[in-house]
Amino acid sequence: MRMINFAKRNFKELIRDPLSLVFEIILPLFLLFIFQQFDIPADNYKLENFTPSIILFGFSFITLFSATLISKDRTSSFLIRLGTSPMKSSDFILGYILSLLPIVLIQNILFFLVAIMMGLEFSINILLTILVSMVISILFISLGILIGSLVSEKGTGGLGSIIVQLVCFTSGMYFPKEVMGDIFIVICKILPFEACLNIIQGTLHNDYSNLSLTHIIVFLIYFITILLLSIIVFKKRMVSDNK
Amino acid sequence: MNAIETKNLTKKFKDKIAVNAINLNIKQGELFALLGTNGAGKTTTIKMLSGLILPTSGSIKIDNMDMKKDVFKIKEILNVSPQETAIAQNLTVKENLEFMAGVYEIKDKEQKINELIKLFKLDEVLNKKAKTLSGGTMRKVSIAISLINDPKILFLDEPTLGLDVIARKELWKVINSLKGKITIILTTHYMEEAESLSDRIGIMANGNLVDIGTSKELIKKTKTKNFEDAFISIATGGKLYEND
Repeated sequence: MRMINFAKRNFKELIRDPLSLVFEIILPLFLLFIFQQFDIPADNYKLENFTPSIILFGFSFITLFSATLISKDRTSSFLIRLGTSPMKSSDFILGYILSLLPIVLIQNILFFLVAIMMGLEFSINILLTILVSMVISILFISLGILIGSLVSEKGTGGLGSIIVQLVCFTSGMYFPKEVMGDIFIVICKILPFEACLNIIQGTLHNDYSNLSLTHIIVFLIYFITILLLSIIVFKKRMVSDNK
Repeated sequence: MNAIETKNLTKKFKDKIAVNAINLNIKQGELFALLGTNGAGKTTTIKMLSGLILPTSGSIKIDNMDMKKDVFKIKEILNVSPQETAIAQNLTVKENLEFMAGVYEIKDKEQKINELIKLFKLDEVLNKKAKTLSGGTMRKVSIAISLINDPKILFLDEPTLGLDVIARKELWKVINSLKGKITIILTTHYMEEAESLSDRIGIMANGNLVDIGTSKELIKKTKTKNFEDAFISIATGGKLYEND
C-alpha cells in the first residue's frame, strides 16, 4: 500500500535525524529522571503525575519535527515528484500520521520503563494510558502537518518552539494554573493542553475526578478541527506550492 | 499515434498568463525539447502535462486519456525528473529506489531496481545516503528513479543543469539509449543539448509556443548560421539582431 510505503520512508527520515531523537526521547527522559532527584514539595512532580506530563512534553516535539519534515518535503522537489505519482492526498496525510505513531509508542514505552525503574507501580492502567496517549498524539501530529504546510522550514522552528512553551506553561505540568491568576486560568481552559494532560493522568490513575466535560469538549473540538484543517491546508498547499 | 495532445492549453495566475493557448502534438517515442528563456512558461507547461497543476482552460490528452477524467491512470504511465534533485535525503540510494518502486507498486521490484543500477552505474553508491552524494550523482539517481515505473512518457526538466561536462555526456548517453522506447519531453537551457538529443524542438516565449520544428528546420527558417542564433531569433522575435 502506498500510504504504508510513504510512512516507512517518513519514519526512516525522522529516526535518522539525531536532533529529532534527542528532543523527542532523550530530553524528556532526562527531565523525568532529573526532577525525581529533587524532593520538590508539589503534586505535579510526583512520579505518577509527572510521567504523563513528560509524555505530553514529548508530544510537543512530535509537532515540531513533523512540521519540519513536511516543510522540508514541500520546499524540496520531493513532493513535486510525488505529486506527479498516483499517490492520493489520503496516502500523504495518513503516511505522515502513521510514520509518527511508532515514535510515539517508543516514547511511551521508554518513559514508562524509566518511571517504573524509579518507583512507579506497574498496573494495567499503564497499557491503557499508552493507548489513550497514542490517540491524543494524533492532535499533535495534525498540528505538525498544519504548521509544516503553512510555513517554511525556518518558520517551523519558531512555531514549534511556541507549541513546546504552550505545552509547558498551559498544561499544568510544572505548576498549578491557579498561581498565575484568572486570565491564565481561562487561557489554560481554552487551549487543549490541560485537557490532554488531565485525560492522560486520569487514565493512568484510573481516577477522572480532575477531568471535566469541558476538558473532553475542548479536546474533541481541537482534535477534529486541527485534523480537518491539516488535511485541507496540506491539500491546498500541494497545489499552490506548484504554481 | 500521439502520446501527448493539447488544445488551447492555458494557465493564468491571477491576471498573468503563464501559458497561452498552446496546441501541441507529440508523437509516441519522440524526444521533444521545450526551450525558452526564463519565465517563458516551460515549467508551468510541464506541470500541467504531468498532472501537477490544473489548466485554467483547454484540454490535455495523454496516451488518448483525458487529463481531467483519468488523472490517476495517466499518473501511472508517466514520470517526472524535476528541475531540482528530488530524492529523500536521509535514505540510501537503494532505499530511494525501493521507496519509489513502492509508490508505483512495481511487481518485479528487485529486477527493475537492478536494471536501473546497471544502466546508471549506481553499484558503488547504492548504500550511501542521498545527502552525501555529489550533485552529479544525485541527478543521476533522480533520473534513475523517474524510470522506475517504465513510464510511457518521461518529463526531464533541465536534467543536466549544474553538471560537469563528463557527467553531462554520460547522461546524454543514457537519454539517447531511451530514445524511441519512451516519449521524452525535455526542457533545457543548453542549446547543444536540445540540438543533439531531440527529434523536434518547441520554442516558448512569454507563455506562447512560438515555433516548432527540427533544429535544421528552425535554422533554415530563421536564416541563421547555427541553432543558438535560430533560438535567439525566434525567442526574441528577431529583436536582438535588429541593431546588428
